[in-house]
Order: sequence, then structure tokens, then C-alpha cells
Amino acid sequence: MMFVLRMAVRETRASWRRLLFFFLCIAVGVAAIVTLRSVIQSVRGVFGREAKSLIAADVLLSTNAEWTPDARHTIDRRLAEFGATERTESVETPTMSRPADGRPVARMVELRAVQRGFPLYGTVGLQDGQIYSYALLQHHGVLVRPELLTALGLKVGDQIKIGQSLFTIRGVITTEAGRRVGGFSLGPRVLIDDEDLASTGLLGVGSRARRVVLVRVPDDSIQPLVRALRRDFREQFVSARSYRSNDDEVGRDFDRAENYLSLVGLVIVILGGIAISSVTRVFIVQKIHSIAVLKCLGARSTQIMVVYVLQVLALGLAGSLLGVLLARGTLAAIPLALGASTSILAEADYGLSWSAAAQGVTIGILVSLLFSVVPLMHVRNVKPSLLLRDESTANRRDWTTFAVMALVSLGLVGVAAWQAASLRVGLAVCGGFAGLAFVLQLAGRMLIALIAPLAKSPSFPLRHAVLHLSRPGNQTRMILFAVGLGAFFVIGVRSLQASLLKEFSVEVSEDAPDMFLLDIQRGQADGVRAFLADATHGASHARLMPVLRARVTGVSGRETKLDTFDDVRARGSLAREYTITYRDHLEPNERIIDGAFWRGASTEPEVSVEQGIHERFKISVGDSLRFDILGRVLNARVSSVREVDWRDARSGGFMFVFRPGSLDEAPQTFIAPLKGPNDPAARARFQHDLVEQFPNVSVIDFHEILETVRDIMSKVTLAVTVVGGLVLFSGALILIGAVAMTKFQRVYEAAVLKTLGANTRTIAKMLLFEYGVLGSLAGIVGSLGAVGLTWGVSRWALEIPWRIFAGEHIGGVALTALLVAAIGVLSSLDVLKNKPLATLRAE
Amino acid sequence: MIELREVSKTVMSGTEPLTILHPLSIRIGRGRFLAVVGPSGSGKSTLLGLIAGLDAPTSGSVLIDGVDITRLDEDRLAKLRGEKIGFVFQFFHLIPSLTALENVSVPMEIIGLRDARQRAEVLLEEVGLTGRAHHYPSQLSGGEQQRVALARALANAPPIVLADEPTGNLDTTNGRHIMELLRKIHDQRGTTIVLVTHDAELASLADSRMVLRDGRVVEMVDHDVPMARARGER
Repeated sequence: MMFVLRMAVRETRASWRRLLFFFLCIAVGVAAIVTLRSVIQSVRGVFGREAKSLIAADVLLSTNAEWTPDARHTIDRRLAEFGATERTESVETPTMSRPADGRPVARMVELRAVQRGFPLYGTVGLQDGQIYSYALLQHHGVLVRPELLTALGLKVGDQIKIGQSLFTIRGVITTEAGRRVGGFSLGPRVLIDDEDLASTGLLGVGSRARRVVLVRVPDDSIQPLVRALRRDFREQFVSARSYRSNDDEVGRDFDRAENYLSLVGLVIVILGGIAISSVTRVFIVQKIHSIAVLKCLGARSTQIMVVYVLQVLALGLAGSLLGVLLARGTLAAIPLALGASTSILAEADYGLSWSAAAQGVTIGILVSLLFSVVPLMHVRNVKPSLLLRDESTANRRDWTTFAVMALVSLGLVGVAAWQAASLRVGLAVCGGFAGLAFVLQLAGRMLIALIAPLAKSPSFPLRHAVLHLSRPGNQTRMILFAVGLGAFFVIGVRSLQASLLKEFSVEVSEDAPDMFLLDIQRGQADGVRAFLADATHGASHARLMPVLRARVTGVSGRETKLDTFDDVRARGSLAREYTITYRDHLEPNERIIDGAFWRGASTEPEVSVEQGIHERFKISVGDSLRFDILGRVLNARVSSVREVDWRDARSGGFMFVFRPGSLDEAPQTFIAPLKGPNDPAARARFQHDLVEQFPNVSVIDFHEILETVRDIMSKVTLAVTVVGGLVLFSGALILIGAVAMTKFQRVYEAAVLKTLGANTRTIAKMLLFEYGVLGSLAGIVGSLGAVGLTWGVSRWALEIPWRIFAGEHIGGVALTALLVAAIGVLSSLDVLKNKPLATLRAE
Repeated sequence: MIELREVSKTVMSGTEPLTILHPLSIRIGRGRFLAVVGPSGSGKSTLLGLIAGLDAPTSGSVLIDGVDITRLDEDRLAKLRGEKIGFVFQFFHLIPSLTALENVSVPMEIIGLRDARQRAEVLLEEVGLTGRAHHYPSQLSGGEQQRVALARALANAPPIVLADEPTGNLDTTNGRHIMELLRKIHDQRGTTIVLVTHDAELASLADSRMVLRDGRVVEMVDHDVPMARARGER
């Protein structure tokens, strides 16, 4: 054992420099895993601590309709039964706000009207050290987010109009208990007194207000209360949850996020592993003589293998520990980057999570080991007799090798499954990697075959450069894979971003609607129509559509039978609240694919379902659906299935369209898509004037939403580009390592060529061509992969037309070629400098 | 005691079988110094490889101290080499990543000797390289490298030392120095030495001489060595 340990130390001492770059890849991957896991665990800690204040209560009941007397009675009874100590209510609704001074601007906000007890847990944080109290809201006071002040050009003390009522701004909100985290918001939060809500006139029929009851109960009553309320409201659209279920839900989301994100790190580690596998193969070939000598001196194959395994372990451990250090540095920088942010993210402490560090180190070592074992098996084939005569050692593939390969594959699937906490995902990641490796290899081989004719080129350096790419023991395939993969990520993501931006710009250009009016009451319909028809307001292409809110509570069909709402709920999204409409015609973006669309009105309820509903829930023509439309039950026969082109937003899209006649008299509101004025000032005036006349109507401005989407997208793109960049960086490290590894071959060739009369310039050109060609090939492989990626994602995930951005691809290939050529030549400088005689003597 | 019984070696040269060593029987007694001479390609090194168990014979058996080594697996062969056989090569075959001292220590470490380092220092002193112990092979001259190799061959005090053209890569002075060392080892330790060389002058330093040509023994000069005839000779 002493021999094995001593040899491992000596071997590591001798070769760590050459192997360094490969283990830096492991370091980068481990750093990614440890950082991501630590960040998420820190943030999760904050959420855990603040779980109660996140929903501002122990138990929370909510509904989208007015509380019925029955519902109130049930709630009162249950709260008394379970000993609730405190309760408060609030109402949330999106609406418009505008300055009271008549300036022609308006802005959508998310209004929350609260009672005295709010919030039961946590607090509302205010700027400038102001302390929140209910008194700030009483008598038409309002607290607003700073974004609203900026958007409307207001300050504390000014007045704003919400609905038909005036409010005085008494403070600026920094943090808010009970704010849903991560949810998409239509506008900045505005807090008013519940008692002033009626004066705004916002709670008309069909308004999208959410009513919430917040309750404080003793800890041991929380779960029983939630269970009882859920039982009571099983058939009604009231949801009951506790801060714990909220915590559980958020917890599951965090688990998922943590596991999936750490796969990103795993991808980098595996990339490092592939490099280690390749480099171990080269390394063992270079060590064949030493191995033969050791065998000649009496060492057994297993002893020698253990020497090299220990070496890999030592370097894997060093790489992993370096990764943990890198992670620590990155984590320390996060609070600096967040600065004075008021986001909940700024409250986390971002320490290094030791469990994450342990996981990272374990993975780094495991992957190093798994990827080096198979090439190390070659040690067994080295015969000591090669010291007597120069003989090649055949790479024997026997059953032991196959068994080890199978074990290694299982090990890798195990590591991936462990990281993703799912065997399925583990298999998918490994399968995906194997598939991608296969495709990239195939593409690499084809490209090398394609450029083979260049080996007959009259240019000596070019000829040799091409020949070198297929030289035995070269690193062409590994570099193609590593760098190609990096290029693939970067080019793919950038192309997708460009494609998405293009898609959005198409959507808002031309005559597509860029504004939506919501909550137009029946009595306002004619007035709004007249307002829109008035050319001085600058709107065009406006149409009013009646909308109602409905839920499917039963299905009676050939393939699907769902008797109760519980059965429907078991089908997932079918139980959600749908916005429905009725009309007597198809829109230009609709097409009937089964059954027939009705003509004219009928009192017999009939419904046309969208293709997705038909496919997902097996609801077909002839089936009967039971709807709950604001408490009214309606049975409708499915008479057609429609295909909707969702990309054509001009006509909107509905999952369920009813035949006119049965819903005409039901409580309903209208929405109106329209093309607003182009000039920003005119747009603001349009919104202001409309809301001035119809205070409860909300206006969604696509341009504003688009800004938010662009902002989110640029952040996502940045994140993915950073990942792609890390992969590319790892590719560059592997490239440097591969060049260093095969340098002995190059140095010798250069010496021979110099002796034969080649000058430094020629050899430099040769290197430049070789790495230039290699980089171009890697770039092309990545670019081809990116074409496949963008096609698949556009077609299947985003459902947008597939576009190729030639600039991204050409730029990507050119930059990759340049990068590889520069790294290749720079790390081969001593090949150029070495004097030939010294090299030849050394050989 | 080394004994070869009807040992032959045939390899494939392309698709054609090529006999490197024709059936041969020979016995080398303990403490003998045998020089095997002959031109390139006569089968000298192959013979040495067969004795050391580095290579398996096509037919026949090789006995070291009565043990038929052709029946041993690779690991047992390795153990036997570690304990009983020291090897010196024409191209030194030192491990480039180890210092001189470490190169000499390795065989002792393999069999688990505790004082490997101290013994390696003594051995280096014996071959006159005390001052070069911490140099790597690339920092040593050819003669020095071969002396390290010789010290390594003696590491486990093996009863047998096999030397394959140990002076073939050295100048005359260094070559002579190595030969003197070999002679000294033989005289002082009573080590059995089989030396392969094509230099008749060096061969004359041995007790006996065997001449090989085209894989056959054509001459055996020594009265003490019980010569067994090489079978197949006409």
C-alpha cells in the first residue's frame, strides 16, 4: 500500500500541471452546483422564516366572487369552532389610477383594500422609516409603490383618482406582507381602506376582484380548520390554505428549482468528465513505458491502476475544493450585486451551504472517477515485454471492460438522478448527453471527411494542418465536442432570444391590437363604443366582446364522464376558471375541425370547444358539459371543435364559445381589443380620458407588458448565456489542456520539420490553420446543433414560427474559430521556440 | 538456478509465422556469469525476456529455482520478478517522473520493504551516484542513468540479474564502468548474471559465452556450464 500511495504522490507531482485544465473544468462545474444550491437554500430559508408573513395569516380563504351569505355563515361558524383569535378581510383587483390634477396619464395598478387588522403577520414596509398603521389609509388615504409615483409623476401628499374616488398618497411601500411572490403582476401595488372601496364603484358585476379572509388561529387548529373549510367549500370556488401549505408549495417549487438548476452544473462537470476520460486515455498511452517498467519491477496491474485512480481522486478532490472556494467567492459577491434592493432576495444571507458543498465535492470526485476508470483499464493490457522490443499494446475489450463500462453508465445515471431527484430526469440527462455526444461526433466526422480534399492543397501548412486533424492520438473529437457544445449553447440561446423578440415586435406592429379594455359593464357598452368610434381619441380596430367567467363542473361524454366537481378537479386545469364568450360567427383565426358551427341564436345551450380541450380531456362533439357561470348552472352540448391560431391575437382566443341565446341575459362584462394611438402622449391621454369617463374600466397596454416581458427575457437570456458561457469557458480550458497534453508530439514534429527546412513562420501558419479549421468545425457543429435546438423549441415549446438568424450563426462560428485558433497557437508557443536539436536528442 | 527446457518462440510477422528462437534447452547454475552474444535479430533479447517471464514461450518451459514460470499468471510472475530477478536494459527504462533515488526505491516499495529509502541510498552509493540521488533521469547522463538502472536491478538483492545490452547506448568509458560494476556484483554477491551483448570484448569478461545466430545456439564456450544441445541443430 505504501508503494501505491508513494507512487500516486510522485505521479501527481509530475503530471498535475498537464492535467490541471481538465480539473479546472470540474472546479467550474462544482462551483456552479454549490453556488446555485446555496443560493436557493438561502432564499428558501428566508421564505421559510417569513412563511406566515408571506400570506400575512395562519389561514387564508379566497374567492373570485362576492361572498354569499351562506358562505359567510359557514366561515363564521368554522372560525368560532376552531377558536380563531383574529380575522380581517381584503379585496384585490386590478384597476386604473390617474393623477387628480387632470394630467392626461393613467396607469394600471393592483389595488388591495384592507381592514384594520391587516396584516395579521409581518408588516407593510414604508420608505423613509415611516411606520405602517391603519390610520394612514383611513379617510381616503393610499399607500403606493414607488413605480407608480414615477409613472404618474407624483409625490407623497399628492392625490390620485381610483375609480370614481379621490385618494391622498400618504406613504410609499417598500415591502408588503401578503404579497404573492413571483406572480406576474399587471401593475404596482396600491393599498386603500376597505371602507373606501365602495366609493370607487369598482366592484361591478363580473369584476375580477379577489376576496380574501385572513385568519389567525392557534397552531394546532390550523390544519383541522383548513381541512374543514375545504370540505365545506368542496363544490364552491373558495380556496382555503394555511401558511404551511403555502410553505409546502413554495418548498416544492424550491426543491424543483434547486434540482434542475444543479443539473446545469452537472452538465459542466460531465463535460469536464468527458475531457478527463479523453485525457486519461492519452495520459496512459504516454505512460505505457513507465507502466511496463513497473510491471517488470514486480508491480501488479491492479496496484498500478490504483496508483492512477488515486491520482485522479486527488486531482478530482483538488478541483472540487477549488470549486467550493469559487462558489464561496461568488456567494460573497451576491449581496454586493443586490446592493440596496428591497426585494425579498436581499434578505437572504447567501452563506455557503455545507450540504451543497458536500454534494458538489462528491459529484466532482465521482465524475472524475467514473470517467477515468474505463481508460485506466488499458493498464492491464500493457505488457512488460515491450521494453525489449517495440510492440503496440492492443486495447483489448473483454468482459471485464464491458462490465466496468456498464457500471460506469449506471453510476452516471445515478449521479444525474441524484442531482435531479428523479430517475426519469437522470436517465433523460444521460441519454440526452449520449445522444448529443453521438450527433456532435457524427457531425465532426462528417465535417472532417468533407475537408479531407484540403489535404491535397498546394499550401504546405494547410495540407499538414488538415492531416493533423486525423492524426492518431489527436484530440480533435474531444475539442469538437467540448467547444462545439459551448458554441451550441451560446448560439442556440441567442438565436432563440432574437426569434422571440422578433415574434413580439411582429405582434405589436401593423394593425395588431396593442391595448385591451377590460371590465366594461353592460350599461357602459354603448358609451364605450361611442368613445372608441370618436376619431379624436385615435383608437381603431376596436370591437366589444361579451365575456363571462365560468367553470366546468361536470362532463357527460362518450369517453369522459365526470359527475362531480371533485372529479373535474382531478383532471387538473379543466377545473380552472375560464373566460367564455358567445357569438354567431367564427373569427378569422378559427377553423372548425369537427362538427359544425351554429348559425343564429338558440335558447338551447350549445358550446364549441377548442382543439386542446378536445385532445387533453377527450371531450368531443355530442358530449355534454355542465358549467357554473357565476352560480348559475348551465348544461351545454358540444356541437363543434375549433382550432385557434393563438399567434393571431387580433381576434383573441377562447377555449369555450357559446351559441348566442342562452347567455345573453346572464351577468356579463365586455372586453375590447383595439389598436391604440401610436404616439405615447396620445396613448396616455386616450387611457386617461377613457378612465375619466368610465372609471371602472381597466386598460392593459401591450407596450408596457412588452417592456416587462422584454425585461424578464433579457434576464433569462443573460442567465442562460452565462451558463452557455461557462460551458464555452470549460471548452476553452479543455482545449488548452488538450493542446498541452499532445504538445510532446507537436514539439517533436516541429523539430523534425525544422531540421528538414521549415521555418518558424511556416510552423506557426500550420498551427494557425490547424486550430482555425478545428475552431471553424466546432463552431459549425455548434451552429448546426443550434439550428436543431431553435427549430425544436420554436416548433414545440414556444409555438412560434422558426427563424434563422444568419448573423448569430456566422458571428458564432467566426468567434469560435478565432477563439480556438488564438488559444491553440498561444498555448503552443514553445513548439515554435524550441531548438530542434535539443528536442531530437531528448527523444 | 535457471533452466530452459525445449523453449521456442514464434511470432506472426504480418500473416507469416516467424520463428525467433528455435527449441533450445539450457541450464545456468547459481552464481554463473553467462554472456549471450550474436548479431541483431539472433534472438538474444527474446531469450532474456523468456527467462524473466516478460514473454511467454511458444513451446517448452522455463524454470527458476525449480518453479515453472510459464504456468504462473501475470501477477505471480510480477511477484517473482520483484523478488528474484533484476533487469538492466539497453535504453535504461527509468521512470522519467521519478528521481534517481525514487527509481531505485520502487522495487523495494513494491514488496513492502520499510527501509527502502535508506537501502536505495546505499545502492546509489555503491554505483557512485550519491550526489545525484535527487536528480530526474532527464538531468542525468547516459552512463549515470544506466548506473541508476543497475542500482535499481540490485534493489531487492535478487539472485539473478538479466542485462540486455547494458552498454549498447553508452560510450566506451561508461560501458567499461558498467561492466566493471556487473563483474563486481557477480564476484561480491554471487549473483547469477545473464548478459546479452553483441560486443565480443565485453562478453569475454563473463565466465562463459553462448553464441546465437538466427535463433539457434551455434557456439558454447565454457567448460563448467553443462551444455545442453540446442535441438533442431543440424
